[in-house]
Amino acid sequence: MQGLASYIIRRLLWAPVILLAVSLVTFGLGRFGPGDPIQILQGQYRDPEVRERIANELGYNDNFFVQYGRYMGNFVTGDLGTSLTYRGLPVADVIFPRLWVTFQYNLLALVLIFAIGLPAGIWSALRQGTWMDPFLISVFLFFASVPVLVSIPVMQWLFALKLGWLPSGGWEVREFFGIEIGVLDKRIILPLIILTLPGIAGVARYMRAQVLEVLDEDYVRTARAKGLAEFTVVSRHIARNALLPLATIMGFALVGLLGGSIFLETLLGIPGIGSYAFEAVFNRDYDSIMAIVLITSTAFVAANLVVDITYAFIDPRIRLGGGAGR
Amino acid sequence: METRRLIFVLGGIAVMLVVVVGGLALALSGGGGNGDGGGPGDTGDDTPAAESSPLPERVEGELRLFGPDPITLDPACASDAGSAEYIVEIFSGLVSFDRDLKIIPDLAEEIPEPTQNPDGTVTYTFNLRKDVKFHDGSRRVVAEDFKFSLERSLDPRTLSTVGIIYLDDIVGAREFAAGDADEVSGIEVMNANTLKITIDAPKAYFLAKLTYPTAYVVDRREVGDSTCFSDTQWTLRPNGTGPFKLEEWQVGQRIVLTANEGFHLDPKPSLAQVTYFLAGGSALIMYENDEIDLTGVGVNDIERIRDPSDPLNAEFRESPSLNTFYIGFNTQVPPFDDPVVRRAFGMAIDKKVLTEVVLKDLVVPANGVLPPGMPGFNEELEGIPFDPEGARALLEEAGGPSIVRDATLLDSGRGASVGPIIEAVVAMWEENLGVTVDVNQEEFGLFLRDLDEGSFQMFSLGWIADYVDPQDFLDIKFHSASGNNEMKYSNPQVDDLLERARVEQDEATRYELYQEAEEIIVQEAPWIPLYHGKTNALVKPYVQGYFLAPFVIPNLRYVSLSR
Repeated sequence: MQGLASYIIRRLLWAPVILLAVSLVTFGLGRFGPGDPIQILQGQYRDPEVRERIANELGYNDNFFVQYGRYMGNFVTGDLGTSLTYRGLPVADVIFPRLWVTFQYNLLALVLIFAIGLPAGIWSALRQGTWMDPFLISVFLFFASVPVLVSIPVMQWLFALKLGWLPSGGWEVREFFGIEIGVLDKRIILPLIILTLPGIAGVARYMRAQVLEVLDEDYVRTARAKGLAEFTVVSRHIARNALLPLATIMGFALVGLLGGSIFLETLLGIPGIGSYAFEAVFNRDYDSIMAIVLITSTAFVAANLVVDITYAFIDPRIRLGGGAGR
Repeated sequence: METRRLIFVLGGIAVMLVVVVGGLALALSGGGGNGDGGGPGDTGDDTPAAESSPLPERVEGELRLFGPDPITLDPACASDAGSAEYIVEIFSGLVSFDRDLKIIPDLAEEIPEPTQNPDGTVTYTFNLRKDVKFHDGSRRVVAEDFKFSLERSLDPRTLSTVGIIYLDDIVGAREFAAGDADEVSGIEVMNANTLKITIDAPKAYFLAKLTYPTAYVVDRREVGDSTCFSDTQWTLRPNGTGPFKLEEWQVGQRIVLTANEGFHLDPKPSLAQVTYFLAGGSALIMYENDEIDLTGVGVNDIERIRDPSDPLNAEFRESPSLNTFYIGFNTQVPPFDDPVVRRAFGMAIDKKVLTEVVLKDLVVPANGVLPPGMPGFNEELEGIPFDPEGARALLEEAGGPSIVRDATLLDSGRGASVGPIIEAVVAMWEENLGVTVDVNQEEFGLFLRDLDEGSFQMFSLGWIADYVDPQDFLDIKFHSASGNNEMKYSNPQVDDLLERARVEQDEATRYELYQEAEEIIVQEAPWIPLYHGKTNALVKPYVQGYFLAPFVIPNLRYVSLSR
């Protein structure tokens, strides 16, 4: 375990460096990129004097590194800045509720995708050569090929207007122990269908390929030759080994939990982070953009780290730093 | 083996299509059969069983609207119509517009007569209503509140981008806004119920400017030292004086307004509650599914809704709005410094095609600068006619198509493609004048910067009324000293007419002066006016008294619900 510890420490030391680079680039892109938030908010009534006064007050006239240092200094103390999109409200008050919304529906979708996709992939690999394998995969591929811009209006039309089963969108929260939960309302069904159906295809196909690879392995043949029950062979020998590479997908999928879909959120009226990030960029809402980028990239770095460490646990062969191996 | 596989794949897709099409057919036939699940997505989700009615529970007397979040609810800071829409319902000022676009007393008891002072300034003495309290019922509105609120809009520390624009006629406002005075000398509190406002010259449009939120009263106990950019949390639950109270603002989710029972004007609000859904969604589908009571209609849906056989047709309403969309020229840079070239470009545009074919009659063609419905609107103004041959002749006279090389039209937009109107205009120039114009589409922020810097040849934009007075269009856009004259248009004769109109007391003469100026402007063509917008909306039949206002006015107190 000593090797693992030093591996983790090395990775942990790299994380701040990466985050610093990301923050610097994002900050620079905002400040040196074209466009000016004050210009946007002044609109067609423009007064250079007022513009200058606002720029001074918001600190846009300071040296770039002074501005950057000030933002990062505040950031680490928990002050994420002030929103321009919602003029004058603290960024934290605006984005955390939205991140929570996005996280909730994405998590549920992710669970469903894996819960359906994994068995479907295994099943279709085991049925290789029969009609069921390509049939199942093509069903999922069909959904994966329909862009959300098409599937959302079709689903809304079908479930809301024609069948009248569901509202066409929206986000209704119920409170449990002070936490606002939005996924317990029927409004969640539509986004779940729209996210899950195409998502399954990817997982199922990946799993199918993995299982097919494992199927040819000696240990599977041995297990079968030993006369083990088919269920045991599949669950203990095939699925387990095929699942290994999925840790990578899983890691990225987890990061994706914080990235809201602009189309999904806009067309279905879900107050998540995706639609806000989009607005923030167009408003040159510097503080909001920085906060969103920093939080998601921190999550990304963390997830990557977790994936690598998990790997090292499940498969000692790829553990770096020596001291391991069989 | 391979072909068999292919057959199965195709077979799978075919079956899928059958399932989907079959499902739709079943749905179309009204298949209300339950028990057959909703397809694969329904499995495994742990939501409670959907009740029989999928629609949100509805509060008695609730009007449900679709809206974006306001950028700000601080009256001193609102620079956009979207924010003003909410502010005019929650806050109020001395005067406001009623539905006939007449100025009526609001927190003032009556409209004061202006009195001329020997030094040329003009004083309005406002007597305040004595029975008006803030929403929380704790305190009466007094003259001191108005002085505080107006000065706050002008205070340089508030960082309002619009305060000085609406209040600059008040004596001492400029000095105060520049930080050179401790108070605005033209705003005087006589006693708790009397407020005197002195402006620098007799200006007929001054009261109209006072209807804008920058002149609304706020509760000085709650706004504290907040500016437009900091400490704005108080706007999440502001203490106003308007017809509705802000009950809840869940940022990005919903705004709930409730009736202010003690409102001081008649009619008092009849709606118990107004809910705005802010998170987005598909407005038309929400309307059809009875989730909202009102929605705008865009160019993609208009044909369907105009079809008399469509059930929505009966709920469709349209009404003019006070705005003008145009193409503006940089009048300082060749070749468009020559009015003849500008006229040629205007003459080459067939506005009938633009409005009828491209925008499907969602708008009306514009001959002049002022939109119909604006006082002083000139019915007889013919503008520059569509005349391809005349256009060509004019361009020849100015030097031929070769003088217009590398012409670029600046347009603002978010998408990759240029809007249909601009595409059509460019095609008309190409066809009728033989000149090629490139379109440079920029994001709004960049677009505004380029307008500021004057680095453009022509641009396309719209101007929406802030108050009902021709001054808001003609003086602000075409006076050579105006900061909003992006065209850098300068004509001493026009300036003179506009300046005389500012102080002219006789209404008819004043509008004549504006019409005269407009005539010159249209002929010299710093703008090619293209069209005036309309409000196109669907309104549920049980919504009574909803008025499609031509611009932002307090509107909701006239609305009631009856089945």
